[in-house]
Amino acid sequence: MSSNLNTEVDFARMKFYCDENRCIHCDGCSVACAEAHELPAEISRRKVVTVNEGKQGMEFSLSVACMHCTDAPCEEVCPVDCFYIRTDGIVLHDKDKCIGCSYCLYACPFGAPQFPSNGAFGTKGVMDKCTMCAGGPLETNSEHERELYGQNRISEGKVPVCAAMCSTKALLVGDAESVSNIFRERVMAAGHGPQSSPYGWDKAYGK
Amino acid sequence: MANTWGYGAMTNSLGDIQNSKAIIIFGANPAVNHPVGFQHFLKAKERNNAKIIVIDPRYTKTAAKADYYAQIRPGTDIPFMYGMLNLIFKNGWHDENFIKDRVYGMEDIMEEAKNWPIERVADVTGVDADLIVQITRHYAHQNPGTLVWAMGLTQHTNGSSNTRLAPIIQLALGNMGKEGGGTNILRGHDNVQGATDMCCLSHTLPGYYGLSDGSWKYFAKSWNVDYEWLKGRFKSPEWMNKKGFTLSRWWSGVLGGNPGEDKIHNAGTNLKALFVMANGITSTAQQKKVKEGLDNLELLVLCDPFVNEAAILTDKQDDVYILPAATQFETSGSVTATNRSAQWRTEIIKPMYESKTDHDILFDLAKRLGFYDQLTAGMLVREDKKEYKWPEDATDEIARTIKTIGLTGWTAARLKKHQENWHMFDEISMRGYGEMTGEYYGLPWPCWTEGHSGSPILYNINLPVKEGGMGFRNRFGLEHEGVDLLAGKGSAPKGSVAKDGYPEITRDNIEEVLKIKLTADEKKRIGKNWKVDTSNIIAEKCMEAGIAPYGNAKARAVVWTFADKIPLHREPLHSPRQDLVKKYPSFADKENHYRVDTRYISEQSEQNWSKDFPINLVTGRLVNMNGAGMENRASKYLAKLSPEMFCDINPDLAGRHGIRDGSMMWIHSPQGTKIKVKAKYSHSVSDDRIFLPFHFAGVMEGESLLHKYPEGTAPYAIGESANTVTNYGYDIVTQIPETKGGLCQIERA
Repeated sequence: MSSNLNTEVDFARMKFYCDENRCIHCDGCSVACAEAHELPAEISRRKVVTVNEGKQGMEFSLSVACMHCTDAPCEEVCPVDCFYIRTDGIVLHDKDKCIGCSYCLYACPFGAPQFPSNGAFGTKGVMDKCTMCAGGPLETNSEHERELYGQNRISEGKVPVCAAMCSTKALLVGDAESVSNIFRERVMAAGHGPQSSPYGWDKAYGK
Repeated sequence: MANTWGYGAMTNSLGDIQNSKAIIIFGANPAVNHPVGFQHFLKAKERNNAKIIVIDPRYTKTAAKADYYAQIRPGTDIPFMYGMLNLIFKNGWHDENFIKDRVYGMEDIMEEAKNWPIERVADVTGVDADLIVQITRHYAHQNPGTLVWAMGLTQHTNGSSNTRLAPIIQLALGNMGKEGGGTNILRGHDNVQGATDMCCLSHTLPGYYGLSDGSWKYFAKSWNVDYEWLKGRFKSPEWMNKKGFTLSRWWSGVLGGNPGEDKIHNAGTNLKALFVMANGITSTAQQKKVKEGLDNLELLVLCDPFVNEAAILTDKQDDVYILPAATQFETSGSVTATNRSAQWRTEIIKPMYESKTDHDILFDLAKRLGFYDQLTAGMLVREDKKEYKWPEDATDEIARTIKTIGLTGWTAARLKKHQENWHMFDEISMRGYGEMTGEYYGLPWPCWTEGHSGSPILYNINLPVKEGGMGFRNRFGLEHEGVDLLAGKGSAPKGSVAKDGYPEITRDNIEEVLKIKLTADEKKRIGKNWKVDTSNIIAEKCMEAGIAPYGNAKARAVVWTFADKIPLHREPLHSPRQDLVKKYPSFADKENHYRVDTRYISEQSEQNWSKDFPINLVTGRLVNMNGAGMENRASKYLAKLSPEMFCDINPDLAGRHGIRDGSMMWIHSPQGTKIKVKAKYSHSVSDDRIFLPFHFAGVMEGESLLHKYPEGTAPYAIGESANTVTNYGYDIVTQIPETKGGLCQIERA
């Protein structure tokens, strides 16, 4: 037994990463998101974008949603202070405070904030965005939380639904360290293939 | 495929693609059509530095992930492949020993390849000569390489030649029977392989047994019914042995005899009733003919979880029945994946509302028609039961009966065990561990006995037969024109009592080939040959001796029963290159082709089609949709991704016709049909062709049919069907329609 246990809690820092070498624009993520949170059709919490569509050698696709930024600009500009950032870095907001001014939309570098389009006289209604499947400030897994923010999968220990559905595992989400480990493994594996014998054996001892 | 080496199925598996060093894809778009399976292609790139090579008329999402991309003119795959073969043979990149021991007739291919110097290939295919050389050199040197295809190769008048020449490339390079090699043909829907294996088709009995009297007798016995009773169900006995109509031409059966229609051979009568179970017949070629066929039926029955849009397409007012069928979540049983693996499925919920499962619908129908007892008799045989248990007893009946593709090991109990333990199998090799050691996931067929491991890679002679090894099938006789068709010296699967080639195993040759003596009891019980040996003595003895029951023969590059003995280039019926039509004309017209006379040369030479219809037309899928698209368009979120029918068009081509991005355009076909769709500028197509997705229905030649949907059943999105303008043209062997290379004209709407 170790006597000097580290008593400091090392919080996870949750991040999204989309691997452009793997994303094929299948929209599994965006449809899973809409379906899981029962979003109105005009709300796209997550969107897949293809750049240079059809141009040989230049086309690539990426899945984009709220990136849950450090020093999130949305939080900085919000006039009613409806945003809050969890210890694990997930950026959430309080729909009961939001006034639908859309400052956050202009501040956001990813186009994440969404507004319902069916309000009378062009009013926007309160903002909606990706919660990393972590719900909102209301009681966790309550009916009210689900209605306003969608599923709270994080509280159940589940991966956000977009990444769970991703067909090629291009979209990764989780603790920054786990995400970078997976990415590192992909980079390191490049060009090596599955090893069938210990390193050097085929050279040293023949196949 | 089946005519090349014995079985028409994917030889390896999706997971095995991770072992490939090069992946060449002809006419397939797995990134869109098999998005989950495509992860294995991407992993091969990451792990093996495998290069992906895409040959396709369109720069697809798959091409976007490729290292080499060749934008081929539709319908010129054969010249492209001969160009590759020309370079391979000229430079000695072929696998001489493999060809010598395991291939028959490669000399004829070598000769024909000489007719395709690279400059000519470049002219015919529209691909730069340099690029063809780069692709060939790379693919020939990166072993093992796998060759992948889908509908882009098959849906042509000479599709059956395409699907022979592609395997020949793999044979020439010695890429068969290897991990990371093979021909990985991607099946387009859930359980297509299973439906094919059970022959939801018109040309053989289940399990590819053919339609001879002998086959019928074997099935009468297996189904536990009287052969004479079966025979009595037909108008006259000779109709038992004739192929039926195909899905692509059933409407000819209705319309045959009308002026301008192809003649039919259907016992002097036309088709009067159509019973459709879960088939999107609104996504088959020549949609207006489909409509005419529907309109002229006496009875139309459609069974689907969603409204089959055939009901919307037709103007028929009476005797159209829409039966609510249950989904796959409301039933259980086995399905067969693209790599010949079985997967057991469990019922999640009971059928909702008044819907019924497919089998209940069929059982009810059989009861009313008076042959329910005969239909279900086969399920009682195994344990001499009074009552069957669905679906287990049906699965066991299949296992008991289908020897040709080795389904003996697919008992319900084993398949369920695989489902329950699917975490105990390796993703790449499919090998089981823990409790599942010694078996491959889903027991990929052939799975010769109830103890067999399954065969993850076909034609692999580096494994013993009982662990999934085998040579090529002895299916085409022992010799042809004096040349031995059995495999050469030393090319028997590992651990076998025979070292060389050997014939398929029969009652008469088993003792000689296996070097064994049968007991008197075994001699009494053994069947005539491995295909009808219900005692399974042949298969069991073969496993002990390391012998594949179907023999060990050579694959063949020459199919002497086909119109083209070796694959030859033939221009599509409607070709933009009229100069090449004269040089590479289509086949002679074919009489009684699945009961309908089918035009080839007469259609092709009727006029200079490219004068009035200068633009190539290709169709394909969208990632968010499937088949005829009804269930996807009825989903809010899927419909949102492509809410309208559209046409991918190069801005150059559009500009020449005054068509703006997002504006409406007309597309006219050589058959005089037209559709009105939205133009979507895209550089994925060159300026001589357009692309249409085929998942839309509900609009016909500019007229909305929205008012025809029963209340509450209209999907979120409707649109013109691409197949209203796909051209006449059907494959010479299979009758698959030529939807991947027709012609059209466009105009601003």
